[in-house]
Amino acid sequence: MNDGLVGRPVMRVDGRAKVTGAARYPADDPVPGALHGFLVTSTVARGEVVGIDKSAALAHPGVVAVYTHADLPRLTVPTFPYIKGFIPLQGTAVHHAGQPVAIVLATTVEQAGEGANLVRIDYRAEPPTASIDDAPQPPHLPKPFRNRPNEIARGDAAAALAAAEVRLEARYSSPPRHHNPIEPHATTAQWDGDSVTVHETAQGVNLTRSVLSTAFGLPPDRIRVLAPFLGGGFGSKGPVWPHTILTVAAARLARRPVRLVLTRAQMFTLTGHRAEFRQHLRIGATRQGKLTALVETTTAQLSRTEESIFNESDSTSTLYDCPNVHIRQEGVPLDLASSSYMRSPETTAHFGLETALDELAWQVGVDPVELRRRNHTAVNQETGSPIRGKRLLDCYRIAAEAFGWSRRAPRPGATKDGDEYVGWGMATEAHTFAAAPATPPVTASVTIGADGRAVVRIATQDIGTGTYTVIGQIAADALGVPLDAVTAVIGDSALPYAGVSAGSATIASITGPVDRAARAARDAVVALAVADPRSPLVGVPAAEVVTAHGHLFHARDRERRDSYRAVVGRHGRPVETTGTLLNAPGHSWGAVFLEVRVHARLGSVRVTRVVTAHDLGRVMNRRTARGQVLGGVTWGIGHALMEHTAYDRSTARVVNPNLSTYLVPVCADTPAVESHFVDHQDPDSTALGARGFGETPITGVPAAIGNAVYHATGRRVRDLPITRDKLL
Amino acid sequence: MPEPSRPARAHTRRTVLKSTAVTAAGTAFLPAVARAEPTALSRGTIAPGESAEITLSVNGRDRVVAVEPRVTLLDALRERLGLTGTKKGCDRGECGACTVLVDGERVKSCLTLAVMRQGSDITTVEGLADGDRLHPVQEAFIRHDAFQCGACTSGQVMSAVACIREGHAGTEAEIREWMSGNLCRCACYQNIVAAVADAAREVRR
Ligand code: FES
Ligand code: FES
Repeated sequence: MNDGLVGRPVMRVDGRAKVTGAARYPADDPVPGALHGFLVTSTVARGEVVGIDKSAALAHPGVVAVYTHADLPRLTVPTFPYIKGFIPLQGTAVHHAGQPVAIVLATTVEQAGEGANLVRIDYRAEPPTASIDDAPQPPHLPKPFRNRPNEIARGDAAAALAAAEVRLEARYSSPPRHHNPIEPHATTAQWDGDSVTVHETAQGVNLTRSVLSTAFGLPPDRIRVLAPFLGGGFGSKGPVWPHTILTVAAARLARRPVRLVLTRAQMFTLTGHRAEFRQHLRIGATRQGKLTALVETTTAQLSRTEESIFNESDSTSTLYDCPNVHIRQEGVPLDLASSSYMRSPETTAHFGLETALDELAWQVGVDPVELRRRNHTAVNQETGSPIRGKRLLDCYRIAAEAFGWSRRAPRPGATKDGDEYVGWGMATEAHTFAAAPATPPVTASVTIGADGRAVVRIATQDIGTGTYTVIGQIAADALGVPLDAVTAVIGDSALPYAGVSAGSATIASITGPVDRAARAARDAVVALAVADPRSPLVGVPAAEVVTAHGHLFHARDRERRDSYRAVVGRHGRPVETTGTLLNAPGHSWGAVFLEVRVHARLGSVRVTRVVTAHDLGRVMNRRTARGQVLGGVTWGIGHALMEHTAYDRSTARVVNPNLSTYLVPVCADTPAVESHFVDHQDPDSTALGARGFGETPITGVPAAIGNAVYHATGRRVRDLPITRDKLL
Repeated sequence: MPEPSRPARAHTRRTVLKSTAVTAAGTAFLPAVARAEPTALSRGTIAPGESAEITLSVNGRDRVVAVEPRVTLLDALRERLGLTGTKKGCDRGECGACTVLVDGERVKSCLTLAVMRQGSDITTVEGLADGDRLHPVQEAFIRHDAFQCGACTSGQVMSAVACIREGHAGTEAEIREWMSGNLCRCACYQNIVAAVADAAREVRR
């Protein structure tokens, strides 16, 4: 390790490309001769297509084709990561409003859009159900999703609850929400015989490839998926959605490349969402606030065709020391599109837990931070094994001190500044990061050319988190070359295998393989040098050669030196190596402290000050890590104060499928954030001491805001978002 | 675009916009068009579905492009001129990803038709740097890590250039307010504010 780039706040290597517009996103790549596709989507939520009239659309200038279920070949419905249960345009059934029922191809994007306007669809409609409250049947316990059971029981929670000195029972709720990355989902499909290239807004190029492979019955090596840059995903581009399959199918039928970009409105029914959610929580504790029982039943919206639950209760199950736990994750099928992962899926249930702990703290008269300390655990609650690298207690201490928590007013509603009540709140943050699957193993390759430059190849993605930059840091350190001597090539399924950029798994899963491949390349070049009579290092034991700044040195005699460029140049051909390493799942933690101001007459809530401290193991790049904190805090503000998707209860259609009525935080909504990191090597990390982190910093923010609103006003809001009507 | 398949063929927002555009182009010319050189558009009526050749001045170069009157400036830039640095986030004026400069002012290019912008000077993110030398706003965005995914970045950068020029970058609070027409879902707002403030100082020097 020479420059020690890992851990430094290195500037993004793709910065110039992004600020000049040179970075090419999947909808930007020119594809000569491509037709534009546009989806016609169902206006009813439940029923059947009974008639289709394409004539007006086909008569529109530029319209080349209109395909419906009558035209598309039968495809195989893939399972995860296709989480929908059916492929549209395979039959006449309608399962939700906004479901594709036809696809129009035209020469220009305007013609395709107008052509879609002109397709006439007749339906037989049945009354739909759009809300958990209206569900005709009671919630049920769905079968395990990806081997994760929906019922978790440890100890005897019912008995412990009955015997508890202190009991607390509360119900919390959270509305549906949509990811809304700024870049819409886009697919461009280009067939060449029986092979297809797909430019795709994909968080996982290999996920898209596997879904297309199943749907079309094609061997994976006939499918190439490209996503060199991604304009945000937040989970919505992890699973694969119908428009991707339909675009690939349409391109095959039309024998022309096809590009299809979803409209913002279509993204509200075709790319997943955070499901409507209810949480019933019962807590047993001692008078000192030590948890003795956690009993939780959650209810999430399901669809008629898909039973997966994504609002996981990981925090209730694993965050605190509690011997008696009973969790049931139930669901209710509604006539809505399937939900899916959204940045920090545990945020919804975590809100209830962290709010309940605040309520418990007031009930037993213990400071909320102290209450959490009393329930802290360094043991994995599910397996009983010790967690060696957990520094959550440090997070509480650092953030509380920086915030000035000890000066908190002792009772709610005690602080007023002008027209506003001021309140402080805090919450723990916790997120489970994923492991990449073991087969095929995540693999990176490193190639050193005769110019001494290194190219790292791996089929991962940069969704904005800084993957390009961190790969450069890791490889440069391992090789002993400057950062600008490394080029990362990613976002292409033809590259060595990597998994999805979701579940905060990117850095956790690729760091080991990249590091190993680069170390192998270094060792290979050193071996060439010490065996090469033309090298000043000939005969030096390989173990005594160090590398730095693109050079190779004798460790004890720095005058004897060679360079990557010279060694590989003399070798006459590039040196190429690969590396693999499996990673394990784990957790990252943190604490968030914040201040809100609630207008006494208007009920408006402003978050005015935020301090965070996080334990993510080793901080690979402080700048990009801080970016995740800023993003997470802002998402937490959106989650707590404004974001919600409204369905019309009689038609099950989204009422606010746009960015002027689905409100996301804007610049003026966000306060300054002071972020701290407990930077340390996690001994159980497979990623140079680091852990998966990106989704951690949202989780506690909604509860911290609610807890601060309570502190400001004495009003406890358990149903998100905390809008003015709930405070007046 | 809302509800393209509505069976009753009610006017959607887009069809209204389009028929307005066609009428405008075919009868009463908009001032920007009228000022321009005579074109197919200004000489007569363009039937729906027909294109006209127009000249757009983009990044200091005149570019001839054939567009239907309903084509937005954004789609003309992206789909006809290959200037894909300008992004489409919503196509209805809500996100700011498509912000470009038109005669020095920030304009959401999804909300203006290409035919209305003949004779205007259009600057996109590709035309901001001076050769290899980045604009101070671009430099400041890199320095302050004012982006993650980059989907909003072209719009943020163009908006920031105008924000500074308008004199709306005096204080942090002012920047927050005047940059709030550009959404950043990655939420780099704090860094964007810092970058704009920093660039404003540099530009004023
Ligand atoms: S694309 Fe123009 S404002 Fe969103
Ligand atoms: S950088 Fe991703 S939306 Fe702004």
